[in-house]
Amino acid sequence: MTHHQEGALTGYRILDLTDSKGAYCTRLLADLGADVIKIESPQGDPGRSIPPFLNDDPDPEKSFFFIYRNASKRGITLNIETEEGRNLLKKLIEKSDVLVENYGPDYMDGLGLGYESLKKINPNIVMASFTEFGTDGPYKNYKGSNIVDFALSGVMITSGYPGKAPTLLPGMPAYDAASMIADVEIIAALYTRTAIGSGQKIDVSVHEVARTGLYPWSVPIYSHSLTPGGPLPWPESRLGDSIYPVYPTKDGYIRVIALTPQQWQALVRTLGSPEVLLLPEWENFIYRIGNSQDLFAIMLDFTTQFTQREIWEKGFQEGIPIAPIYDIPTFINSPDASARKFFIKVKHPVIGEGLYPGPPYKWTETQPQIRFCAPLLGQHNEEIYCKELGLSKDDLVILRSAGVI
Amino acid sequence: MARTALQGIIALDFGTGVAVPDGIRLLAELGAKVIKIESSKNLDFVRTIAAEKNSSAGFNETNRNKLSIGLDLQTAKGKDLLKKLIKIADVFAENQRGGVAKHLGFDYESVRKIKPDIIYLSSQGFGGGGPHSDYPAYGPMLSAGSGMLSIWKHPDDPYPVGSNSPLPDHMASKQCAIAIMAALDYKRRTGKGQYIDMAQTEVAASLIGESFLDYTINKRVPQPKGNRCSYAAPHGAYPCTGMDNWVAISVFTDEEWHSFIKVIGHTEWAEDPRFSDLLSRIKNVDELDKQVVEWTSPRDAWEVMEMLQRAGVPAGVVQRAPDTMKDPQILHDKALVELEHPIVGKRLYPNVALKLSATPAVPSKPAPLLGQHTDEICRELLHMSDSDIKNLKKEGVLESPDIQQK
Repeated sequence: MTHHQEGALTGYRILDLTDSKGAYCTRLLADLGADVIKIESPQGDPGRSIPPFLNDDPDPEKSFFFIYRNASKRGITLNIETEEGRNLLKKLIEKSDVLVENYGPDYMDGLGLGYESLKKINPNIVMASFTEFGTDGPYKNYKGSNIVDFALSGVMITSGYPGKAPTLLPGMPAYDAASMIADVEIIAALYTRTAIGSGQKIDVSVHEVARTGLYPWSVPIYSHSLTPGGPLPWPESRLGDSIYPVYPTKDGYIRVIALTPQQWQALVRTLGSPEVLLLPEWENFIYRIGNSQDLFAIMLDFTTQFTQREIWEKGFQEGIPIAPIYDIPTFINSPDASARKFFIKVKHPVIGEGLYPGPPYKWTETQPQIRFCAPLLGQHNEEIYCKELGLSKDDLVILRSAGVI
Repeated sequence: MARTALQGIIALDFGTGVAVPDGIRLLAELGAKVIKIESSKNLDFVRTIAAEKNSSAGFNETNRNKLSIGLDLQTAKGKDLLKKLIKIADVFAENQRGGVAKHLGFDYESVRKIKPDIIYLSSQGFGGGGPHSDYPAYGPMLSAGSGMLSIWKHPDDPYPVGSNSPLPDHMASKQCAIAIMAALDYKRRTGKGQYIDMAQTEVAASLIGESFLDYTINKRVPQPKGNRCSYAAPHGAYPCTGMDNWVAISVFTDEEWHSFIKVIGHTEWAEDPRFSDLLSRIKNVDELDKQVVEWTSPRDAWEVMEMLQRAGVPAGVVQRAPDTMKDPQILHDKALVELEHPIVGKRLYPNVALKLSATPAVPSKPAPLLGQHTDEICRELLHMSDSDIKNLKKEGVLESPDIQQK
C-alpha cells in the first residue's frame, strides 16, 4: 500500500481538549498534517462565542475567531464529566499520540484523567497541559485573561504612546506564545518517543512563557545596565514612536529604522538631502529620540512627497530600512503576499468562502496547509464514534440523550 | 544525565537578530549541538548594539547554550570549513539579508549538494519569491508590514506606534523552531530533508487571522480597539501610584463583576442601571472606566492585583523588568536564572521554559564569546590538528576571542 505523506506530521493523532486559549497550538499541528480531533462539550467550545461574527450574527457556527483557530481539525462532542464520556475518551486515547488540554491545575487529575492514569492506558501518549500560572506556587489559582497575561508579559509597558495607557496587542499574544512553545515540546516528545520508549508529560505556564518568551530581552537589558552601587537604569516606557518613528506619506504611514549613523544618512539621501536634515545633531540617535516631535514636524514635509512604496523602495536602494504600515486590505493585496499566495480560499458550510492567512512558510517536501474548514459542532461524531470506535448509530442516540455527546 | 530530545542533532545557526537565533536556541535547550557561524567581519547585528561585541544583553540572551565558531566566509578556506560542518549537520538556518547566503555560496541548492538530507530554513522579513524578498526587516517592521500594527492602537491615537520591543520577532522565532522540529521528525521517519522559506510578516498576520476574515467575508476594515473588549467591562490598563505604573483588569462574568464591586467597595453598582449587567457596562464603559481609575489611582499596582486576584478577578501588574524580578510566581518557577558570562559577569536571564518530564531541557549556559569554541569545534568535529588551527588563525580564516576572560 502506498501511503501519501501529506504533511510533516501526517500519521499522528492529536486529541484537542483546549478552548480558545490553546486552539492555536493544535491548529498549527493540524496544518502540519496531524489528525487533530477537537473535543467540545455538548454545549460547544466557549470560543464559538468570540467575535467577530458573520454579518454580526452571534451564532455559534459563525464566529470568525473560532473558525480561524480551529481550521484543519475534525470535531466531536463529548462530556468528560460523565463516566461514559471518560470511557469514550479513554478509548480515543488508546488510538492517539497526543492529548492537549488547558482546563487548569488539578482538573484532569480530579477526573482520573491525569498523566499517570493516561499512560496506563497508552504509554506512548504525550500529554500537554496549559495552565495560566503554573501547576503549583503562589499564583496557582489566579485567573489570567488576554489583557492580564499581556500586561504581565513585559511588552505592554512598551506599547503605545508615552503618557497614555499601555496598549494591548491585537490577537491573543500570551496564549499564542504558550501555544507555540507547547508545539515545539510536543513535536520534540514525538521525535524522541521511539528512542526512549514512551510518551511524556509537558507543562506550559502561560505567565512564564509569555514573560520569558514575548520580550525575553527586558530582564537581561535591565540586568546588564545595573552597576553595583550605581544609579538605577531609566524605567522602561513607551518609546516606539521615537525609536522606530512613524511618518505619513501620500497614501499611508511608514515606519523607519534608523539605528546607525549610516542608516540615518541613507534616510536623508532618500529624502533628497534637504538642508534642515543635514544639521550634524540629527545624526545622533539619542538626540533624535529626545527631539522626536520636532523631527516629526520637519520630516512630514519630505515624506509626504512619496507614496509608501516609493519611499520604501528608494530607501532600500540607499540603505535605510523602511516598512509600509499596511492596513488589513492593503496587506492582503500587497505584492509580496500575492506573489507568495499567502492567503488561501477556504469554504465553510455556514459562513461561505473567505480568504484565510495560510501557513507563514513554503516547504519543498511537506507543505503545511489549511486542510479543511473548522468543524461544525459535533460534525464528526458519527465518523469517529461509529466508524473508528465501532459504536452504532443507536448508541449515539442514547449517548446524545444522556448528555454524553 | 537523562537523554535529551535532540541528542546527537547538530544545527548550524547562520542567523542574525532574533527570528532564527532565538528559534535555534530552543533546539539547543532540547539538547541539539548548536553552532553559531560568525566572524568580526559579519557580526550578528545584535552584537553591534552594545559597547563591545560580547557585552550585548540582547545577544547574550538570544544565544544562550550555543557554541560559536569564528569563521571568515569571505575566504575560500573559510567556505571549505563551513562545507565540512554542513556535511555533519542536520539543520542549517539563516536569516541574513536576502541574497547574502546565496552570494556566499550557501543557499539551499548549494548546501543540499553537500548534504542532500539537510533541513534548511531561510527566513526573511517579507519571505522569498516576492518583489521585496531581499529587503532587510527588523521586528518593528514586521508588525507594520503585516496589517497587525494598523490595529495596535487606541481608537483615539493619531496613528499606530506599536512598541519599542522587537515583537513580533519573538513569535517568528517560535514558528522557526516549530517548523524545524516538524521537519526533523519527518526526516526521522522518511530520511528526507527539505527547504523551508518563512516570511516573518506572514507570522505576524497569522496571529490576527480573524481580522482578515472580517475583511474578506464581512467586507469591513477592522478598526483598532485599544484595550477595550466587546464582551468584557471593565477591561483595560488603569493607572496606579508612582510614575507610569499600571494594572490590567478584566471582568468577563457576572461572578467576577460581583467580586469586583465588593473589592472596590461599590456593591450598590449591582443595582445601578448604568452598570448592573454586561450590556449596560459596555454602553457606559467610559463612565465605568473613570470610576475604576478613581479607585486604582491612589493604590499600588501590586496591591490592586493581589486584592482582585484573591477575590477571583483577573488582574495583573503591567510589568517592567524589576517587577518580574520580584514576581512571586516567576521566583517560584525559577523562571529567571543568573548566569556568569566571561565578559559581562553575573547577569539575569530568562530560564529554560521547556518542561518535558522524560527528556528534560538542558540547563542554561551563557552565550558564547565570538569564536569561543573555534578550537573545540575544529578539533573535535572537524578533526583538525592544532597546527592547522593555528595557521588558519594567523591567516584570519579562524577567529578566537581576542579578550582576556574573567
